[in-house]
Amino acid sequence: METERLKIEDVLRLQGKYVGPTVGVSMLPMLKNRRDTIIVVPKTERLKRLDVALYKRGDAYVLHRVLEAVEGGYIIRGDNCYVDEKVPEDAVFGVLTEFYRKNKHIVCTDEKYIRYANKRLKTYKFRRFFVRIKWKIKGACKKILRAFGWRK
Amino acid sequence: MKIKKGFVLRKVGGESVVVPVGEMSKQFHGMINLNETGAFLWTFFSAEHTVDEGVAALLAEYDVDEQLARADVEQFVKTIVANGFAE
Repeated sequence: METERLKIEDVLRLQGKYVGPTVGVSMLPMLKNRRDTIIVVPKTERLKRLDVALYKRGDAYVLHRVLEAVEGGYIIRGDNCYVDEKVPEDAVFGVLTEFYRKNKHIVCTDEKYIRYANKRLKTYKFRRFFVRIKWKIKGACKKILRAFGWRK
Repeated sequence: MKIKKGFVLRKVGGESVVVPVGEMSKQFHGMINLNETGAFLWTFFSAEHTVDEGVAALLAEYDVDEQLARADVEQFVKTIVANGFAE
């Protein structure tokens, strides 16, 4: 057993895959923070809709889903996010091929997984509508609490 | 010797890889590639065992002489302890 400290992009280049924990909530409900394990391989071809891309935003690694391949890059969004992002082609260096959800091993070519990914995109507008209502209710509650001095 | 909680052993394309989960993933950023014997010993030492018990388990599982089995277990334990994976 050998130990080395490498960046994810170096691990991909040297080992041909990266296996690691997930951090963050942006890919919920598919990937849970620090519980699930992702298996990412280097990007060798242009990604397509539903692929989950690994890229860097500043110093942070981001693993989000491709909504559309556009000229010069991709429109990308996390499954639990409500903002799209244009990511340049050269910023994306990996793609999710498998993951462990708890202890269940899921391959990204699996039909059930693809159905899930499609459904997640199809229900986006519906989910966004309810999330906005939730945010408005939350905001209104905060205002009421502040008005009564129960919240700073 | 026992391996700390907070690691999971995953099979990836026929290889064994250990990754941290939960709080451990805040302290340890990396993946541990194990060969077949390493994966066997990792699983074995996930519960409290002595080196002698590890040697006996390796002998029971693999067709290997005791000297080599002991060397493998001692090396494994040494690496685990040196990297702070033991409790």
